[in-house]
Amino acid sequence: MSTNNMSDPRRPNKVLRYKPPPSECNPALDDPTPDYMNLLGMIFSMCGLMLKLKWCAWVAVYCSFISFANSRSSEDTKQMMSSFILWPLSLLPSAAVLDFPE
Amino acid sequence: MKAVHAFCVVLLVFGSVSEAKFDDFEDEEDIVEYDDNDFAEFEDVMEDSITESPQRVITTEEDEDETTVELEGQDENQEGDFEDADTQEGDTESEPYDDEEFEGYEDKPDTSSSKNKDPITIVDVPAHLQNSWESYYLEILMVTGLLAYIMNYIIGKNKNSRLAQAWFNTHRELLESNFTLVGDDGTNKEATSTGKLNQENEHIYNLWCSGRVCCEGMLIQLRFLKRQDLLNVLARMMRPVSDQVQIKVTMNDEDMDTYVFAVGTRKALVRLQKEMQDLSEFCSDKPKSGAKYGLPDSLAILSEMGEVTEGMMDTKMVHFLTHYADKIESIHFSDQFSGPKIMQEEGQPLKLPDTKRTLLFTFNVPGSGNTYPKDMEALLPLMNMVIYSIDKAKKFRLNREGKQKADKNRARVEENFLKLTHVQRQEAAQSRREEKKRAEKERIMNEEDPEKQRRLEEAALRREQKKLEKKQMKMKQIKVKAM
Repeated sequence: MSTNNMSDPRRPNKVLRYKPPPSECNPALDDPTPDYMNLLGMIFSMCGLMLKLKWCAWVAVYCSFISFANSRSSEDTKQMMSSFILWPLSLLPSAAVLDFPE
Repeated sequence: MKAVHAFCVVLLVFGSVSEAKFDDFEDEEDIVEYDDNDFAEFEDVMEDSITESPQRVITTEEDEDETTVELEGQDENQEGDFEDADTQEGDTESEPYDDEEFEGYEDKPDTSSSKNKDPITIVDVPAHLQNSWESYYLEILMVTGLLAYIMNYIIGKNKNSRLAQAWFNTHRELLESNFTLVGDDGTNKEATSTGKLNQENEHIYNLWCSGRVCCEGMLIQLRFLKRQDLLNVLARMMRPVSDQVQIKVTMNDEDMDTYVFAVGTRKALVRLQKEMQDLSEFCSDKPKSGAKYGLPDSLAILSEMGEVTEGMMDTKMVHFLTHYADKIESIHFSDQFSGPKIMQEEGQPLKLPDTKRTLLFTFNVPGSGNTYPKDMEALLPLMNMVIYSIDKAKKFRLNREGKQKADKNRARVEENFLKLTHVQRQEAAQSRREEKKRAEKERIMNEEDPEKQRRLEEAALRREQKKLEKKQMKMKQIKVKAM
């Protein structure tokens, strides 16, 4: 019994469950990239839509893709989707290349 | 006779149709009779038009305001109602090749194309009606870029996943022999090993191990590079960065003595000293070279006291550090670990942060970004070092002197903290009291009923008087005691 204890460091009675680290300040501290990109994406898509600038719409597309690629798992899907939804809205009018001047 | 009659009907029908079509031009046109010779120039076109399928060729020359209509199936010798706008001339043309006919014409209208050069201003066909690729230049470029980004995302994600799996496969045996619980995401009801990594991100993987002597648990975090983000990939081309493996061992209170100690690359230690709460408070000196203990020059030591360094740098530890120096970023043992310094807002009294006895290891994966799954095997000896350190931390105890020093240090830090926050706490209390008073006054002011107002004011006055009396009593008591 004692030899078993000595050689085997495992202690089944001392198992502690995993507790995800508190997320109060960590997400912001870790890496602000997805949040910035999300915001930029929304701004650019709004600009593209209102001011009818095609390049704005495309930058918004890129921003939302980058935000998605860098996203944290703890983030709400809804938050991410919000910027993802905006760029098609601004890009569609220009996608047909109908209205926007070059 | 009948044939002629039928022919005239057909002609009439065609004529009416053409009239309807060219209503716009009615104002400008004169009905003119054509001779055969007028069509001499259009001979080629006429021959083409006398083919099977009916065709209508409309030639518009804006300057001349002339419309030429050619109808299929008509002989050249037909006479009928042809409408031709020729406002400039306005004559019945009976002679062929009258020179006057061509006055004002710059080009011979023998091409059926509508586009002449000068002086006709031709409106460009709008870009969106063109079918050339050039007009979609920007879109093609952007979509190509997006496709490249998506491809890189998929490739990067897969690579990170493969690296993580390779790491886990290499280390699984060692972990399972040391810990009861290997892999837990905290969601299951029972504490059973999931036996796999938690994927937090496309580039971060966690593993929680628990159920061992000495320690509460061990959290391993594989922090890979953001291979799934093309921007990051491009940035890394300028500045190579390594994948990292971060291990955080939470020790039991009774299994670790009170000391703060760190060893690692000089750069990492300088950064940690600035960022980490405990290192900045307990290890105020600059990182010292570890050459005295046989460490390579690349590594430096931060320690609370010399005795700790002496105790930590035993033969085996030195062996580990020397052999794997290139993979070690930092090693940090502390009983006062509370994470990085928290930037507190002004006026907020902070409590002493909760501390935990922790061993932290940060290792760099060899390859400097160009990592392959087989490189993960090189990290296995480092995990052995971690296990050894856990056991060592349990065994290592400070002597009496060291313990006293350590206790003094901790007491000093706590005192400083309280002093710092005392002022802040007082200010906070004062501001809260003032806030209450203001709210009270506002309530009294806002009270419409004068009776109520008076009553509230009286109540407030009474309360203040009571407070003053209490204070006076206290002062008297203190004076009595002093005497």
